[in-house]
Amino acid sequence: MWLFMLPSVLVMALVLLYPFLSALYYSFTDYRLGGPPTRFIGLDNYTGLLTEGRFWADLLNTIGLVGISVALQLVIGMALALGLYGMTRGVRLVSILNFLPHVVTPVVGGIFLKWLFVGRWGLLDATLISFDIFPPDWLGDPFWARFTVVIADTWKFMPFLMLVLYAGLQSFDTALLEAASIDGANWWQRLRYVILPMMKPLILFVVAIRTMDAFRFFDLVYVLTNGGPGTATETITLYTYQIGFRMLEIGRASALGMITLVIVAIMVAGLIWFMTRRGREAF
Amino acid sequence: MRSSWRTQGVLLVVMGAFTLLNLVPILWGLIISLKQPGEAFSIPPTLIFEPTLIFHREVWVEKGFLAFLWNSLVIAAGTVFVSVPIGTLAAYGLARTRSRQASTLLFGLLAIRMLPQILLALPFFVMARYLALVDTYTMMILAMVAMNQPFTIWLMRSFFVDVPIELDEAAMIDGCNRWQAFWHVVLPAVRPGLAVTSLFSMLLAYNEFLFALILTGKNTKTLPVAIAEYGGEDIQYWSISAAAAIGIMLPAVIFTLLVQRHLIRGLTFGAVKG
Repeated sequence: MWLFMLPSVLVMALVLLYPFLSALYYSFTDYRLGGPPTRFIGLDNYTGLLTEGRFWADLLNTIGLVGISVALQLVIGMALALGLYGMTRGVRLVSILNFLPHVVTPVVGGIFLKWLFVGRWGLLDATLISFDIFPPDWLGDPFWARFTVVIADTWKFMPFLMLVLYAGLQSFDTALLEAASIDGANWWQRLRYVILPMMKPLILFVVAIRTMDAFRFFDLVYVLTNGGPGTATETITLYTYQIGFRMLEIGRASALGMITLVIVAIMVAGLIWFMTRRGREAF
Repeated sequence: MRSSWRTQGVLLVVMGAFTLLNLVPILWGLIISLKQPGEAFSIPPTLIFEPTLIFHREVWVEKGFLAFLWNSLVIAAGTVFVSVPIGTLAAYGLARTRSRQASTLLFGLLAIRMLPQILLALPFFVMARYLALVDTYTMMILAMVAMNQPFTIWLMRSFFVDVPIELDEAAMIDGCNRWQAFWHVVLPAVRPGLAVTSLFSMLLAYNEFLFALILTGKNTKTLPVAIAEYGGEDIQYWSISAAAAIGIMLPAVIFTLLVQRHLIRGLTFGAVKG
């Protein structure tokens, strides 16, 4: 049986394990492309980053932006899933149309959104101006730029939650719901005491996936704001990109990548722990 | 929760309105791509206009987006060609093993998903520089295989698990060895799964931006990188980049229609069977 796994394991050793170990090694050096010879500098990259304001600001940004948009996605996605569940016809059409934003190439999605939000000529501004409303600077003002990025992320990932949660609803034993109605539970009570508790593992699953994705969040922001204005919408990944591929400081960028990995691992572990332990009271 | 006629009507209207709202960015892009620039920037925005396809022609033919499409397709096909066969073999092995090492390996694969892409992008960039493989298909395909392999294995494994193990056993009683049972009996049974997995791997490679930004150059530039360069800012290029954006989106739409029955399984690493 292990023979079947051999080719894949060998390839992964080459394209995953080897690069990962090199990155780990770089993170302890001052490796800089085209720079002076590389020296081993121990934990200097790590201590440097962890004492830097920009790192903490970006970390807060990432967690804030994604935290808010994941909450939004969960609520809207759940509402849509319930809507689909209640519909008797047209379910397939509605779900496929709503799913499109998720499969569209992220960069292209970012550009579509930019044409909505871009100053003056964008659809939103053009519409507001024609009603004599003076619009805010969606991409240039720190607050509104963050708002726009949240909307963008929600637009992109809400369909994913919708479909997965809908699949969860469909796999229910409807007898439970019927029993609850017969016992006189109203719509809200059925949602809260029957549906949500049954959906818990699935909700945990999608939130965990979205948390991991959060730290890969790059394409949309790159196109929409490129982290600006200033560093108002700069995520950890965008900062790593700046250090690694603009300043070519491979060592420092690798250390930042490693820190990100540790943060993701802690968050996912924490999420699983929280949901399994507090689970019974949480819903 | 099935209910009366009136509830259905309300539901349909609400869901329909939301769907429309959700598609506004895409529809607006489509409209821009069909308008003359002069009309595209009118205030208030106009919905009635004479559509033109000249920008679609211009971007693909004159601006060379066909070449970028070719690059995207070569990289996506190459990724599937390397990633899916070896991933399928591994998935079969893992689906038919109940040892502790096998489940450790499976969860290890899931943990790889936690790796920030950019962390792998750094050593890939360095490797590409040292092996003089910047701006080649090879390096980009290798990177895409790295990103796809855990996903391919998990998804294929979920299809193999659906095939009853008695099928393998029957084939082996009839005189097949392990390999023949796999090749002649089990593999044909998962053909739809193979198609779905290939399509998903293709889409992931087709949509990839970060690695493409770093590893491709003027000879191997893919569509996402090309369109990002045009951007959405300079209004002179709006019509052209809108035409490109709509064209780039089309394969994704076709993809969705092709795999609609297996979308959920694909999206969740095979964990949720829709």
